[in-house]
Amino acid sequence: MLKWKKLGKIFDPTQHELPNDCEQFAQSPQALVLDDFVRIYFSTRALDKRNGKYLSHIAFVDMRKNLREVIRISDKMVIPLGGLGCFDEHGIFPMNVLRHGDIVYGYTCGWNRRFSVSVDTAIGLAISHDNGVTFQRIGDGPVLAASLHEPCLVGDGFVKVISGVFHMWYIFGIGWKRYSPDMPPDRTYKIGHAVSADGINWVKEEARKIIADRIGPDESQALPTVIEIDGRYHMFFCYRQSFDFRKNCDRGYRIGHAWSDDLVNWTRDDENLLLDVTPGDWDSDMLCYPHAFECDDKVYMLYNGNEFGRYGFGLAELER
Amino acid sequence: MFHWKKIGKVFTPQEVEGRSWMKEFAQAPATLVFDDFVRVYFSCRPPADDNGQYVSYSAYVDLDRADLFKVRHVSEQPILSLGGLGEFDEFGIYPVSVIRHGDDVRAYYAGWTRCESVPFNVAIGMAISRDGGETFTKLGNGPVLSYSPDEPFVLSGPKIRRFNDTWYLWYIAGRKWKMVDGRAEPVYKIRMAFSSDGIRWTKMNKDLIPSRIEEDEAQASPDVFHANGKYHMFFAYRYSNHYRGEENGYRIGYSSSTNLTDWVRDDTKAGIDVSDEGWDAEMISYPHVFELDGKTYLAYLGNQVGRYGFGLAVLNGKLE
Repeated sequence: MLKWKKLGKIFDPTQHELPNDCEQFAQSPQALVLDDFVRIYFSTRALDKRNGKYLSHIAFVDMRKNLREVIRISDKMVIPLGGLGCFDEHGIFPMNVLRHGDIVYGYTCGWNRRFSVSVDTAIGLAISHDNGVTFQRIGDGPVLAASLHEPCLVGDGFVKVISGVFHMWYIFGIGWKRYSPDMPPDRTYKIGHAVSADGINWVKEEARKIIADRIGPDESQALPTVIEIDGRYHMFFCYRQSFDFRKNCDRGYRIGHAWSDDLVNWTRDDENLLLDVTPGDWDSDMLCYPHAFECDDKVYMLYNGNEFGRYGFGLAELER
Repeated sequence: MFHWKKIGKVFTPQEVEGRSWMKEFAQAPATLVFDDFVRVYFSCRPPADDNGQYVSYSAYVDLDRADLFKVRHVSEQPILSLGGLGEFDEFGIYPVSVIRHGDDVRAYYAGWTRCESVPFNVAIGMAISRDGGETFTKLGNGPVLSYSPDEPFVLSGPKIRRFNDTWYLWYIAGRKWKMVDGRAEPVYKIRMAFSSDGIRWTKMNKDLIPSRIEEDEAQASPDVFHANGKYHMFFAYRYSNHYRGEENGYRIGYSSSTNLTDWVRDDTKAGIDVSDEGWDAEMISYPHVFELDGKTYLAYLGNQVGRYGFGLAVLNGKLE
């Protein structure tokens, strides 16, 4: 049984000055644990003045290891958005960071707007040589994109090196559907897995849905994060219905859980998670974008609450 | 210099009746030789929609083997349907390249989607026919060759070949989108990938053909043919600006190789240029070489990139 103790919201983007003229949203927090502090990356948003749509940018906040005190907010561009026509032209959300020797790998989920549907996404790689203050892309294109049986929306990569092999858990779209004639199309995505020897060239399991659906075939699963706890791999992710999920809190994101001993077969076990919404609090309607990490022998989970993280992210600690 | 003798336009899509999806254009001819006819695949378009936007379908015409100017049959339907909502080939299947494999015919095709900041994006899909090339089934809803760090967008113009039990795919990869008079125009270069099964591809990640007329020269239709101990590539190239007219429009170039990876460009050898007047006086493009009954032919497009069909030239002498 994994019992989480909620520690409350720890970062509110509206209380700080953010780079790139961003004002709200601190979505999909992801931690890089350094010697004296924890650098937490998140995606925040600026308005695209050309059309009033959002552009997601990566920023970070450095916090003391008590995960309460803010040391500083990134004051310059962590990674610029992609160029004209590139996969990450209209946003990077999220970015998963991974220390690898002296460098930090940043796996970005890049967004580009489409005509018949709102967006497509793919996963890029950028590298930092300055402990994660700034990142440079390895190329203009993605390292993981749509393929024969994963036709769209490859994104949300989470990478871990286990026994010398890079593992990536990510999501792939299985299709878009218009659920009612007066609504724009909605997408459904599932969690997949790929491996790599170098973190650059990946071999997908190609459309194997590694996590069973719990709320039916229209379940969308997002943002997997994997951590080893007491010799067993645990995955946390968020899931929701594929439509009417933004305002209807019964159909919105919740955090799911699965475990595995071999990294191949995953057993879904949401009941053993014990992390749910708190009525009346900042996470009363929605729980999403979990990120599990270790710091000073404790296991933490960062996550977003209502409105997909418009007003920040919170923290839970594993009780052991 | 090769001596190609133009023998005229062999197919005019405007002359075909009863097909609402084929009003004009017969682009990117690709041949499959049968006992008594030559099947030429091409891509065509119905009228533009209210916004002036086109979709492309691919189809075939059977030409009499004894008299290539005699049209015996035109496919009743497109060989493939367009992709579903949000899929890579939702708005066009163009061009297509075919090859026999045992009793099957494989088609590699470029699928078109529409974007917000640039007009389109393209990736390469694959389909199989089990009835001699009349109908095809897609191998998946996604592409078989997609974007990667060094090939960020516009993977198009596939040409499939098999030499010495290895599959080769020549194609073009977008390098940049260039703003010309407020319109985003793609610049692309000729590339190659190889495979043992024709499904899982390894990209060379290298421009095969140096640019000649300008740095942003766009190169297309890399058509490779083996003859007399050498690999011959005919391709099309154009300027990046104002290329829809005669001055900067497509011309046919030539390069050769002995090992498939190192190519020597020599356009002075191509031996075919625009005519003084007529259907191919403004531009010539999308070359495709094939051998038939002891003769070597070049199929190609004329003015307005094949709006009024394709023609043939026959080689005097040998490709060497």
